[in-house]
Amino acid sequence: MIETKKLERSFQNGDVVTRVLKGIDFIAKDGEFIAIMGRSGAGKSTFLYQISLLDEPTGGEIVLDGHDTHRMSEHERMKFRLNKFGYVFQDYALLPELTALENVALPLMMQDHTKASAYKQAAEALTKVGLGHRLHNLPSQLSGGEQQRVSISRAIAHKPKILFADEPTANLDNDSSSAVMDIFNDLHAKGQTIIMVTHEEQYAKLSDRIVRLDDGTIVSQTHRGHH
Amino acid sequence: MPLNLRIGFFLATRALRRASLWTTGLIIGVMVLTFLNLVVVSGILVGLIQGSIEQWRTEYTGDVIISTLTDKKFIENSPNVIGIINGLPQIEKYTTRYRESGTLEANYKTRKDTDKPNTTGAQISGIDPYQENAVTGVAKKIVEGSYLTANDYDQVLLGHYLLSQYVPIDNPDFAALNNVGVGTKIRLTVGGVTREVTVKGVVKSKVDEVSRAVYMVDTQFRSIIGRNDGNVDVIALKLKKGEDPEAVKEALLLRGVGTLAKVQTFEDAQPKFLKDIVSMFNTLGSAFGSIGLVVASITIFIVVFINAITRRKFIGILKGIGISGRAIEVSYIFQSIFYAVVGSGIGLFLVYVFLVPLFQAHPIDFPFSDGILVAPLDSTLYRVGLLIFATVIAGYIPARMIIRKNTLDSILGRN
Repeated sequence: MIETKKLERSFQNGDVVTRVLKGIDFIAKDGEFIAIMGRSGAGKSTFLYQISLLDEPTGGEIVLDGHDTHRMSEHERMKFRLNKFGYVFQDYALLPELTALENVALPLMMQDHTKASAYKQAAEALTKVGLGHRLHNLPSQLSGGEQQRVSISRAIAHKPKILFADEPTANLDNDSSSAVMDIFNDLHAKGQTIIMVTHEEQYAKLSDRIVRLDDGTIVSQTHRGHH
Repeated sequence: MPLNLRIGFFLATRALRRASLWTTGLIIGVMVLTFLNLVVVSGILVGLIQGSIEQWRTEYTGDVIISTLTDKKFIENSPNVIGIINGLPQIEKYTTRYRESGTLEANYKTRKDTDKPNTTGAQISGIDPYQENAVTGVAKKIVEGSYLTANDYDQVLLGHYLLSQYVPIDNPDFAALNNVGVGTKIRLTVGGVTREVTVKGVVKSKVDEVSRAVYMVDTQFRSIIGRNDGNVDVIALKLKKGEDPEAVKEALLLRGVGTLAKVQTFEDAQPKFLKDIVSMFNTLGSAFGSIGLVVASITIFIVVFINAITRRKFIGILKGIGISGRAIEVSYIFQSIFYAVVGSGIGLFLVYVFLVPLFQAHPIDFPFSDGILVAPLDSTLYRVGLLIFATVIAGYIPARMIIRKNTLDSILGRN
């Protein structure tokens, strides 16, 4: 479970302080699929980065499974990200010199899996998203949709507690976007917690709950059935 | 293998395997040039003098030289000393020399009474032509005429510095013989005895003791200096391959030769200025090498820094997905080591397979020596170690600078 209390994030540029998140209280239960929406500049990606421990808030608290993240060292945050979280980025964020298989296997190896075991698990994850025939291709040899599926495989191969996705379909065509959302639906059906930032209403509607942000605050929360 | 090392190695091998060939080639090229700068510049500097020392050994002193004590006219009991030499198994060959100072005069037949005599001083060596050539290879240094034989009567070899046509300087204090070549008759005066001799050949060497010497068959020379007791002035020893001159010197001293003569290894007998120059060139070589090392470090720093800056986003992603900063640093260190090791490996190949044999076969023709490339393996490996160490540091620092930046800022490219 993730809980934020009065979460704030400000950016300072010289004397100018910009408050992007203005005291957000938020709870995500295990197994939930949450879509975060809002217009550009509303603070949705910034919010995702805070709760996924990629950034540090300037105020408030984040509690992850009872752990107060404010007290965590960078090393502990790194361990948390490695073992508990999976990330899917808008631009796929694959390492260009690693093949699809290596990209997916890398976090597993960092978890101290042997190379053989990591490769085996990575190959299974890639096969599940329909890329069993693309294991040894470099990202530059894959289409955008395929790269995003590799990114999802990397995010889920180590069976994370929470999957964070930052506009995962923004750079994809309709078919690829649908394929990505199908994967998310399957994962959610199997109990995966997913928190996804999106600006696409049709994909947000697939979630359990839509959280709408505006000007750094939550303005509405809509549950499935009321979408 | 510790986890960070394993992941760092994994990342490094992939980065290297899939890096641009041009970039990899360029970095390795820089490392090769740096290595050559480290090894070859100082190696040639030292080699200039080493060449001179080597020629001093092979053309004059041999490996060990036994000479007259300062307060004696010759090596007393020379037959006894020679007997001891013959009993040492380390010695392959030796040559004995009679040496006296003398004067040479040319053009005396055509000189008018008002003309200044054309004379020059020289060290005259009475030698056994066969033994001398076996130890010093002097016959190969003949540039005009031919070498002496045991039966030559009143014939001499002249060092080329005694002849004006070979002397590159026009200095009134530096006397040389004019119009003298093979077949010319000259006067040789030693200890008040003058004899007319014929020039049989000219010896050209970069060792002063040879280039300013006059060689004559020892039996002839003995009759000039009036010495028939078998006592000689110099004995040069050539040792069997691999034998230690210092050990032979010790063996001779142990047998009492030190009381009759001065016993020196070729290194002991080197003129002090040569030793000083070797020391100075070593220092200069180290100074040039240090500059090369700094340049290499800066180059690697810049290369890794640019690489890390342009890959900052991916470094951020690696950290974001939970790869430790240490593992990422290790990957850059491995890459730096790779560049240094491959660069040094190619450098070692070039030095030992190509350059050292090339300089041996075609020494640099300096006025005072035939310069070779001196690259002892132990000091070369020490320089390889230095280069790798400097490269590792130069690779680590920029990687660390980038890795320490905020993870999200790196991913988003924010400053």
